[in-house]
Amino acid sequence: MKEMSNKQKKWKGLSLLFSIILIFCIFGAIVFSVSQKISMEMSASAIQNLSESLDLIQSTIEAILRSEAEFQELIAQEIAQSDDPEEYICGSKSNRTVAKISLILSGETEGISSTGERFTEEGLDFSAGGTVIGLPVSRSYLNYMGTWSYTMKCPVERDGRVLGTLYAEYVYDAIDQSLPDGFYNKQASLYIMDAESQRFVLKPKGMGQRSAGHLNLADFYRANNIQDQEIQAEVEDCLRTGQNVLFYHDIREVHALNYMWAVNGGTIFLVGYVPVEAIQQEGRTVNQNIIIVVVSLLTAFFLCIALYYLNWRQQDKLRREREEERRRYNQQLAEALQAAQIASESKTTFLSNMSHDIRTPMNAVLGFTMLLDRDAENPAKVREYTKKITASGQHLLSLINDILDVSKIESGKVALNLEKFALSDVVSSVDAIIQPMAKAKRQEFHVEVTGIHREHLVGDETRINQILINLLSNAVKYTPVGGHIRLRMIGLKQRSSQYEHIRIEVEDDGYGMTPEYLKTIFDPFTRAENSTTNKVQGTGLGMAITKSIVELMGGTIEVTSEVDRGSLFRVDLELRVLEDAADRQFWEQRGVSRILAVGGSAEGRESILALMQDTGVRLDTASNAERALEQIRGGAEFQVVLLDWEGCGLPAARLLRENLPDTIPIVLLAEFDAEGMEKALQLRGTDCLTKPFFVSALRIKLEELWSGKACGPEAEEDGSLHGMRFLAAEDNEINAEILTELLEIEGASCEIAANGQLAVERFRCSEPGEFDAILMDVQMPVMNGHEAARAIRSMDREDAGRVPIIAMTANAFAEDEKAALDAGMDAHVPKPLNMEQLKKVIRQLGERKESL
Amino acid sequence: MKNIRGQRWVSACLAALTVVSLAGCGGHEDPKNLIRQDGEEERVVNLFSPMEKTDPDAENVARTASDLTVAMAEEALNVTMVYRTYTAENEQDKTYDEVCMDRARNNMDDLYLLNPDTILALGAEGKLMDLSGLDSAKNLREIIRTANTVDGKLVAIPQEVVAYGLFVNVELFERYHLALPETPEEFLECCRVFQENGIDTPIGANRWWLETFVFAQAYADLYNGGNTQAEIAALNSGKARYSDYMRSGFEFLQTLIDRGYIDVEKAAAGEAIETEGADFLAGKTPIVMAYWGAANTETAYGKTDFEMKVIGFPSSRGQMPVMPMTGLAVGADAEHREDAARVLDVMVSDEALQVYSETNRVISPSKNVKVDCVPALEPLNDRIEEGIYVLGSNAGMNVEQWGNTCLIVRRLLGGASVEECMAAFDELQDAALNKT
Repeated sequence: MKEMSNKQKKWKGLSLLFSIILIFCIFGAIVFSVSQKISMEMSASAIQNLSESLDLIQSTIEAILRSEAEFQELIAQEIAQSDDPEEYICGSKSNRTVAKISLILSGETEGISSTGERFTEEGLDFSAGGTVIGLPVSRSYLNYMGTWSYTMKCPVERDGRVLGTLYAEYVYDAIDQSLPDGFYNKQASLYIMDAESQRFVLKPKGMGQRSAGHLNLADFYRANNIQDQEIQAEVEDCLRTGQNVLFYHDIREVHALNYMWAVNGGTIFLVGYVPVEAIQQEGRTVNQNIIIVVVSLLTAFFLCIALYYLNWRQQDKLRREREEERRRYNQQLAEALQAAQIASESKTTFLSNMSHDIRTPMNAVLGFTMLLDRDAENPAKVREYTKKITASGQHLLSLINDILDVSKIESGKVALNLEKFALSDVVSSVDAIIQPMAKAKRQEFHVEVTGIHREHLVGDETRINQILINLLSNAVKYTPVGGHIRLRMIGLKQRSSQYEHIRIEVEDDGYGMTPEYLKTIFDPFTRAENSTTNKVQGTGLGMAITKSIVELMGGTIEVTSEVDRGSLFRVDLELRVLEDAADRQFWEQRGVSRILAVGGSAEGRESILALMQDTGVRLDTASNAERALEQIRGGAEFQVVLLDWEGCGLPAARLLRENLPDTIPIVLLAEFDAEGMEKALQLRGTDCLTKPFFVSALRIKLEELWSGKACGPEAEEDGSLHGMRFLAAEDNEINAEILTELLEIEGASCEIAANGQLAVERFRCSEPGEFDAILMDVQMPVMNGHEAARAIRSMDREDAGRVPIIAMTANAFAEDEKAALDAGMDAHVPKPLNMEQLKKVIRQLGERKESL
Repeated sequence: MKNIRGQRWVSACLAALTVVSLAGCGGHEDPKNLIRQDGEEERVVNLFSPMEKTDPDAENVARTASDLTVAMAEEALNVTMVYRTYTAENEQDKTYDEVCMDRARNNMDDLYLLNPDTILALGAEGKLMDLSGLDSAKNLREIIRTANTVDGKLVAIPQEVVAYGLFVNVELFERYHLALPETPEEFLECCRVFQENGIDTPIGANRWWLETFVFAQAYADLYNGGNTQAEIAALNSGKARYSDYMRSGFEFLQTLIDRGYIDVEKAAAGEAIETEGADFLAGKTPIVMAYWGAANTETAYGKTDFEMKVIGFPSSRGQMPVMPMTGLAVGADAEHREDAARVLDVMVSDEALQVYSETNRVISPSKNVKVDCVPALEPLNDRIEEGIYVLGSNAGMNVEQWGNTCLIVRRLLGGASVEECMAAFDELQDAALNKT
């Protein structure tokens, strides 16, 4: 249809074009024919004009000749009347017209001239038979004055008797004076030619050298390249018969009209040429004016067409823009509608999923609660049920957390909490979380850190942890038993010295994902629907949250995956570097200037080298203990030796220990689950450090070594609450009861205040040290937790500033934690209450208090 | 944006068209008398000069050069130059010189371009005006002044120093391994070789210029021997005979005629260049004689298909340029003599001669004007620059040389013997001696 429309348009355009061309052709033909007609008429008129001019000249010359002849007859009469004709002749004077007069008396062959010389008819040729009013005219000749002349002879008669013959010599220069001083604006040339000799006896003034005057007719032909035999023959014929000739011939590449105009019956001819342009000057002017008018009209017409076209094009452009805009809007609307429909469908699906996912653990909780009630007397069953209730509760909690996180991210209310953090802390905390999960599924979890230059960075540690834990927990989830999971932290080339460019890779050899699912993996409210993933519980929001956080940090995330081969998530982040002058100072103060790293992969050693770069400590490396020993024996003084446990083992540790003073610590770099280290750790001045290597971890380990703390697995000491007394602000009675019970289980006591106000009052009334800590709910009637905390901190009593206040709230976001800290509280423990976490927080607060 | 700019252009064009159209509507006030009244009367100076036959498409450089100076004079003096010309159609016609004499004697023109013999003749008759008072006369080379001074009057001033030489087809000389001849003997040998190789008449000649061979041999020693004035004085007093000087040259010409190196019949009736030029340009004739300017103008030998050189005539002193003195003269009783003198003053001024010489590439008569010549003329120019040449005319000699020698050479061509020709010289000399 569209093609047909285009064809029709094209055809219409062509028709219009052909019509315009046709109109112009007709117009052009009319103009041309008019122009031609005018030109021909003007040409004919000009030829007529030229003929008239030449006729006029001819008449003038003939009149002169007649005058001369008449004059000569008068002279002859006078001579006839004179007593002494010869004396009369001698007394005559030459003038510009008559060069001389001569007389030969009858019966004699010789006479006398007015110049005083003897005169004979010799040299004068009257054979051509030309006459003027009956007087014979001679052929032209050069006279004694060096100019062209002719002679007429006239009988001298007295009383009917011929006394003699009078000869008068006339010069052509006299005729020249009566001719026009150039005609046709001096563009025409005019010669006088003697017909008999075909010599040019009078040449135009101002010709000669400048325009190469002509000698005779042959020279005229040659100089003007008139070689056409027909023309020449016709000219000859006319010369013979005394007729006029006019013909066109180019003279020096100028179109000209040539003429031979008979004078005095053809005894002499006017010869010359006039450029046609000069003849048709008026016609040419008219034609030029016609052309100017036509060109002006055409110009105006084309300009109008151009204006119309430009206007049409502008309108068309506007129309097309409007159409395009409309189409775009429609498309956007369609897309928006589709997105809304998809979102709606996703949310419907999500709600359906959530309904299912929330109901499932809730069902478990309620079901096991019922079972608990029924089997309350059976401690084994009670323990089993409570364990399952706890698991279901935990799952329910994670579901709720994710849902809240997503809704918060979607509403754009997430703010990053940028603070200094150590990469080592991130790695160790993630390692601590993921290792047990992996162990539980008998999976191998490896952490590799390479190319990282700076360990202390600025960023939102919690969110980075969240990213890593999301990715790694997914990897653990979607990798079958016995699989492998790797976390790689790779330092990429820095774009700026101010920023560390880090790539985080999480790789597994698990179930993998289909290409279709990969396309939507980061979309919220979507979850892979297949038999494999259905085995695993999840909200389907983890990846969307992860992607949102990464993008919030200005980073990128991408994933590659193959079904049954595994997946690789790759996150690129740029985190600001924090100069840690204290770190450099530490090494200087401790006199550590040289460390030897022994064993391990070359890549590992390179990584250590990169991390140690800014510490000011020189790092030497040795591929094994023997090489290390060579360096030591070679006199190199090392203050610390790092030994790769997996690469070197116990013999190497022993060897080095034997050859190094006890004051030089040997730190064994070992995997998380390294085995057989006990004997090595018994060696003097020897301790271990979990891979991956971080400078801060080494620093802490050395401090421990130098301060005499032993190595080994850290005692599982979360701190005991035994004997402690808490003041808890909690408006929910059930929660208050649970809290009281839990604390009592831990051997602690708790006094409940129903809101913040009461808590403040109770604290005011308490003895100093009566409460070890205050547990503060946030959302409470009368006075909320933040206000209460501020009120307590502002109290004028000695312990108001240092009594630990711990926020204990269902508001579990980072912003909530920040708000709590800003209100003067010391820590934040989210609900539902995890006693282990509470104990850990209390212990940390205790330690901080001690250090102060 | 582009459209708006286009529309502006179109609008501007339409506006311009409107303005032009409206301007065309403006009327002019018609004068009552439709005939234009001419101003002051036109001043005219008549110049009589020879007319060269012309080709349809060729440019005549010499003519252009002369016209340029005429135009300068017209502009400077507000006069109009009117050309009057004559050229003989054939040998039966009066020669240009004869017509020139007739016209000058009858005061037909104001300015004349004269050959050396007519300068001398008309000068002696007092028909030419004394030009020594002109400003431009002060710039003349001394040799020019001397050659044009008759009875103490400077009667003519040339626009170029005319030098005659042999125009040779170098390629033909090289083809037959011939060096360009220096002496008469070498010249004869060259002719012999050419003839042996099928070039029957190696020399293209006309009835005007064969005398140059005679002058080269006759006066090579007189003008280049260091005793010029004394020798001329001896000739003028009759102590020395012109025939003694001329004999060797005439004998040489006779040899050329006898051996058929010259086509006598053709030469006796032939006009300059017209007769011999075509064969020379076609490469059939290896040698012709002509004047300097012929090497510059396309109507003569300015454009050849072969390498051409212009050398001096053979003489005992090597190649010898022959320099007759043509010149522009003013009729003593001419109708517009004062204007003619002023015109001549402009035409031979340094400024005009510079233009003339640069256009025509000739030697200037002014000592202040120098221009380079075309490569073909270099051999001839080198000799002139060395000061080695003979004069074809000399007003200081009591027997006119250029015209008389030309006529006597024609007698030789007509069959007269060398002795008869020498007798003619003796007659002329005796007549001159008797006159004084």
